[in-house]
Amino acid sequence: MKYFDANTWTGRWPFSFCDEHTPRSLAAHLRAHGIRRALVSPLEAVFAPEPGPANRALLRATRSVAGLEPVPVINPALANWREELDVVAADPRVRAVRLLPNYHNYRLNIRAVDELLADLAERDLRLILQVRLIDHRHEYHAMKLKPLPVKELTALLVRQPRLPVLASGLLLPELLQLAPQFPRLLADLSFVEWHDTLEYVRQKVPARQLALASHTPLLITAAARAKLDSSTLPTTERAAIAADNLERWLGRGEKS
Amino acid sequence: MRIIDIHTHPVFRPDNLPGVGVAQLVRRARDHGICHLVALGDVLRFGRSPTEEQLVEINDETAALMRAYPDFITGFCHLNPTLGAEAVRREVARCVPLGFRGLKLEIANNARDACMAPVMAAAERHGLVLLQHAWSMTQIRQRRYHTDPEDVATLARRFPRVKIIMAHLTGCGVRGLQAVRPCPNVVVDTSGAAPEAGLIEYAVAQLGAERVLYGSDVPVRDFGVAITRITGSRLNAATKQKILYDNARALLRLP
Repeated sequence: MKYFDANTWTGRWPFSFCDEHTPRSLAAHLRAHGIRRALVSPLEAVFAPEPGPANRALLRATRSVAGLEPVPVINPALANWREELDVVAADPRVRAVRLLPNYHNYRLNIRAVDELLADLAERDLRLILQVRLIDHRHEYHAMKLKPLPVKELTALLVRQPRLPVLASGLLLPELLQLAPQFPRLLADLSFVEWHDTLEYVRQKVPARQLALASHTPLLITAAARAKLDSSTLPTTERAAIAADNLERWLGRGEKS
Repeated sequence: MRIIDIHTHPVFRPDNLPGVGVAQLVRRARDHGICHLVALGDVLRFGRSPTEEQLVEINDETAALMRAYPDFITGFCHLNPTLGAEAVRREVARCVPLGFRGLKLEIANNARDACMAPVMAAAERHGLVLLQHAWSMTQIRQRRYHTDPEDVATLARRFPRVKIIMAHLTGCGVRGLQAVRPCPNVVVDTSGAAPEAGLIEYAVAQLGAERVLYGSDVPVRDFGVAITRITGSRLNAATKQKILYDNARALLRLP
């Protein structure tokens, strides 16, 4: 089976003992877990004053690494977001951008977000919304961060019903609340758990809305595979979750 | 590979989600190589501070599981220390003859509270292990009734002859491991939150392989994911075997 990981990161997360990856070491690590393709964003863009330098470093460093598809981070709360989008969208490998509203201190209802979404639609780019990077109860003690509220995400999806959105880092109850309401939404499984995760989720959510995601290096890579490999879903559904849905969402398979 | 899961809730009725089928959960556990599990009861079924009657109901469900799966399930008796010494004594005395081998404390009170004394006395008298829910309170700020790892350390120092399992490695984190490191009667289970990378290796480095036990916290966690916290780590095979099986076997005195 092919595995296409919807959520990986290069760089260093300063608040835990997880690995620090270059694109090359990340690709090798994922290959060791049987994952040959992955969307990747730079952790440096989370805390930097603006994500531009981290995005450019990612685009440069992934050029010679097979299997990693760069997903730059855009911060629409900064006045230069259009220029930044121009720069990253010029790279033909970029098919999606990632937003981190809770880390970058803006809400999804600001005007710049709607302007950004219109721009993405024109460029036929996809949007990844990062709901959480780690469990908010484990954030560094000096940081007071909450996950992206489902209510805000819901309002955005109502406003933009045709926009291809991947929600990354939803918990099980959040997934069950959102996915049936928005059949075009793709959700990654990085934080979704139940004792039989996929069998349980599939009772409420179609397989076509789910995507494998390891959230490497913050979470244990093997855990993502375990959810799929131990499931009893039909092979076609597992293949869809493992790679096909993400491929389609990126616009490389059938039209999403 | 044989596995003992020290932290499960086979009967569980979470908000907005249906109850879990025990037979299905047991089948799933066996598929993952689990040969024994500890059932802790549906501990939040009646809220954080159950009455004596409600505790009886919770523990009777666990006892029924032990009868249904006698070689597979060991029960821990859920207690509410705030009900007082007599209530604690009565429920422990009722549960020990049913085969319970441990006590389970949730969030009725903080583990540093004086009401813990009768619980610890009962644990010592009957040779029971205590599994104490714990989580770092840095962000949660409910320490009045929620136990922080530092509170587990306080409890462990007051009652050094009682073996304590501090639940939720991931919730307790680095600071929690440092808090209990000097307490040889405290071991930690690997459950809690999403499978954050790097923590289990740190736990073994700080506590030693003998003081870390595999626990999943199913049904809210996936067996496969919980097991990969250990199998997907950088630990060597002998250490993994201790965490997944040997340590719990010795602690529960299983054959």
